Amino acid sequence: MMPDWVFIIFRSIVFLVLLFITTKVLGKKQISELSFFEYVAGITIGSIAGEVVTGLEGNMFHGALALVVFGFVTFLVNFLAIKSKKFSDFAEGKSTVVIKDGKILEENLKKEKYTIDELSALLRQKNIFKLADVEFAVLEPRGNLSALLKRENQPLTPKDLQMKMPNEKEPQTVIMDGNIVDESLRCAGKGRGWLYTELEKLDVTLDNVFLGQVDSYGELTVDLYDDKIQVPAPAQRPLLLATLKKIQADLEIFSLETDCEKSKAMYQVNAKKIQETIDVLSPYLNG
Amino acid sequence: MKGSLLVTIASNVKQCLATMKGIEAQLASFALNSLDSEAQATFNQAMLTVGEVKKDLQYRVLELERHEPQYKGS
Repeated sequence: MMPDWVFIIFRSIVFLVLLFITTKVLGKKQISELSFFEYVAGITIGSIAGEVVTGLEGNMFHGALALVVFGFVTFLVNFLAIKSKKFSDFAEGKSTVVIKDGKILEENLKKEKYTIDELSALLRQKNIFKLADVEFAVLEPRGNLSALLKRENQPLTPKDLQMKMPNEKEPQTVIMDGNIVDESLRCAGKGRGWLYTELEKLDVTLDNVFLGQVDSYGELTVDLYDDKIQVPAPAQRPLLLATLKKIQADLEIFSLETDCEKSKAMYQVNAKKIQETIDVLSPYLNG
Repeated sequence: MKGSLLVTIASNVKQCLATMKGIEAQLASFALNSLDSEAQATFNQAMLTVGEVKKDLQYRVLELERHEPQYKGS
């Protein structure tokens, strides 16, 4: 006869694997507990596993069976919910509009059994303290609130200021722990040769780099193991902008200095061209 | 007096031309290294514009050298 603790270790490992598989099968939704079924299944599966692992008198396979059934039903519900909109509304719940056109819909609030205090608490969690700021708010099936602020209360974006912002791609981490990540390097459209050249420019060796990232403009930033060494941040773009401005000023000066009318005109035209280029490029070259 | 002024101007224009070449190269490198296609196009267009300006300056440098041939080179 095996001692009890061996049983506990054995069961713990079996159930951990089982729980892991169930969660994997049910997917990310299970972890975020978006719908009623996932919420209930999450609680119950956990309880069953806990009960069976420590309760030695119980039959382990009964526990495992219950766990699999809960997992299977949740999986089935998810599967049907994808197939049919009606079913998903029924099983996973629909969202309820609680504020519309800036006015609270008391009926809907009552139906969801929320008090005004609870609604204000949910709004406060979204950093909204004034009801008058809200244009539209919805209670999601899982009980969290989504709120749309009135246009004038929304945070200012570059679009509001009619500023043109260049699109940026995600930075790629090309060096981790002193090792080159070839896959990211390929995503950034670069090769090892390019990386070694850039590292040489920064005057660092590969095995001294803890983390290296390439941004949307193909500039490399590195973090070194040795925090005492100062690595210059990439300043090529601001520098380029400054140089362009200098050239523009130089051309203006040349146009003033020359006596020749033809050259004067030529300098002026080119100064204007450079100015236009600066205007177009500055969103890309700032920062 | 007039001659020495011309020399300063000529050397300033030459310096400007050299900086211009540097800018053109840098823009070309950005056009190649950027990941966003719009950024690539913008950098490429800027490079072409700078190239045009560079050509005008090159012509002007030749002109200045013709006026004062003794300061050629440098």
